[in-house]
Amino acid sequence: MRPSRTSYPLSYPLSWRLMDALEAVAAAIWPRSFSAAVPWLMLLPAVVLVGLLVLGLWDMADGSFRTLDTATFLPSDDYSLANYDRAFSEKLFFTVASRSLIGSLIVTVVTLVFAFPYSYVMVRTRSAALRKFLLIALFLPFFIGQVVRAYGWLIILGSQGMVNEALGLVGVAPIRLLYNYPAVLFGLVQYMLPFAVLMLAPALTAIPEEMESAAGSLGANWVRTFIHVVLPLAKPGFIGAGLVVLTLSLTDFAIPAILGGGSQDFIANAIYDQFFRTSDQGMGATLALLLVAVGSIMVGVVFALFGAGTLAMGRSK
Amino acid sequence: MNGPSKPFLNLDRRRFLQGVSLAGAAGLVGMPFGRAFAAEPEKPKEIIVRAWGGSWVDSLKKGVSDPFTEATGIAVRHDLTEDNEIQPKVWAAVAQKRVPPIHINWDTTTNATKSALRGVTEDLSDLSNLAGVTELAKPVGLDGYPIVNTYGYVYVLAYRPSAFPNGAPKSWKDLLDPKFKGRIALYNDGIGFHFPAQVAGGGKLEDIPGNMQPAWDFIAKIKEQEPLLGEDPDFTAWFQKGEIDAACTISTNAREAKANGVDIAWTVPEEGAKYDTDGLWIPKGLPENELYWAKQYINFAITKDAQQVWLDGLGLPGVVPGVNPPADLVGDPSYPTTEADFKKLIRISSKVQVEHESEWFGKFKEIMQG
Repeated sequence: MRPSRTSYPLSYPLSWRLMDALEAVAAAIWPRSFSAAVPWLMLLPAVVLVGLLVLGLWDMADGSFRTLDTATFLPSDDYSLANYDRAFSEKLFFTVASRSLIGSLIVTVVTLVFAFPYSYVMVRTRSAALRKFLLIALFLPFFIGQVVRAYGWLIILGSQGMVNEALGLVGVAPIRLLYNYPAVLFGLVQYMLPFAVLMLAPALTAIPEEMESAAGSLGANWVRTFIHVVLPLAKPGFIGAGLVVLTLSLTDFAIPAILGGGSQDFIANAIYDQFFRTSDQGMGATLALLLVAVGSIMVGVVFALFGAGTLAMGRSK
Repeated sequence: MNGPSKPFLNLDRRRFLQGVSLAGAAGLVGMPFGRAFAAEPEKPKEIIVRAWGGSWVDSLKKGVSDPFTEATGIAVRHDLTEDNEIQPKVWAAVAQKRVPPIHINWDTTTNATKSALRGVTEDLSDLSNLAGVTELAKPVGLDGYPIVNTYGYVYVLAYRPSAFPNGAPKSWKDLLDPKFKGRIALYNDGIGFHFPAQVAGGGKLEDIPGNMQPAWDFIAKIKEQEPLLGEDPDFTAWFQKGEIDAACTISTNAREAKANGVDIAWTVPEEGAKYDTDGLWIPKGLPENELYWAKQYINFAITKDAQQVWLDGLGLPGVVPGVNPPADLVGDPSYPTTEADFKKLIRISSKVQVEHESEWFGKFKEIMQG
């Protein structure tokens, strides 16, 4: 007589029995025939998160078509395009939007210019100590929040800050380094640099060093090697880093608020004002949706023109 | 200077309840206070009061919250969320019929008026101590007491005396002196500056809100001076760090900066200065017992004893007759007490301010962001 499937020899370890039991429970809950759905199940949390985001956007879209009644401070029952009309016709929103767009483009270009040599040295250096130093210098700012870093610049660049004190030593009168557009751009570049380096480094790592050696052995100097070999091969990294920096700069709130002295607002600051200062949630929702739309279009244009870079995860599309 | 007097801090429970409950039961409209004769509603472990930080919350704690806790045993937690940021949270809670995140909102009257118009405030008309307050406690243009104003304050012209060697600035126009380019500060929403700017720009207060062009013209001139725009804490920091020489700010902030060792003085220029009020209100949706004790807190805040200590800290005139000004503010234009003092100040109803706030804010921002 054959022994039953559940009767084990005495030597059968307890942990095996436990695993068998767990497997049986798992098979009862999720039969083997469902295995093709496992990847989708693993995707579920992300789908739920994105779904919540979409729900929020839907709610904001609904709010954006309602105007604020200042007699009751309630949104109107009727739908209208009044908020969108204001967004496109009022000079304030045009000023803030163009400042944000131009600023984010400048920040993206400058950040990529600074991030490339940093990434290149970090990837190519033969010195482990230097690589570690560059990595630590890169990650350190992540442990210091954006607001704290911005306040740090107030200490360094203020009228009585370290820079002005140093200038004073050579007879230069204090100059206003803060609370202007360049100060905001400077703060954003400093904030974005680590993101750009982290996006560029994998792309540079993927370029075989032998390619540069081969170019050199064929007579190319370092400039030609850089232009004709390194830059084209690093393009996916530039695109990925550029997109991340562009979108983060476009939507930034803290740096313009702290380093701009109140007169260099970006779109996020205008959205905050509508939600929290004038209590006009409909107008705030309108600006927020327009920001999402503009950001998405910019990203879409880059994707269409240059591909998704490292964000394509190695796929051609 | 009137500090916290010992007998007050040793306020016993009998005196406290006598003050806040029995008087109400004895006199006023409020039927709910009939409960004062019956058993007290169950006490919550704590009540949450939204407050501004720094010397603002310190003063409230010392003058109102601590004595309230001592008398009732109910802890008071101060929530320092910005007034503008707590507002949508409270509105959402009331709309969704949830218990609001705070019991009491210490708020600007303008902001509180928005909440009252939206219908999210409890009526406080039955507070017994309203019988002893001045007209200032009553919100203008609203029915009943959805808010109880607790004191007034002035948006003074605060200045660094060393930057004005000829004495205090006489006019807001003095800020147009080229030497103050980049050295002056305003609130980032322009609050406190619109009305004196209307006068400094050659306009009339009677034209508000119909014709504010003189104000915008003057603000445009001020914009050429590249002012810094910020919030209360910014002004103190900017004075301390030598970033600015003058600012339109609430006198309390200037006084705090002075207490911190900053060389600072303040004045009410010839065009006048905005006078406004702050108040306390309770959002709808609290459990009955918590509503009761939140009302007791506000009722206590408008007693003479509480106002004396609380407003000594803030350096502001209260709504209860007989509160003495701090010694350093006797005769100060930021602490108006007489008819003549009030003539120098500009007060526009909260309702007008609320109805036009968004429009004025947009116009101010348009000029300053340009």
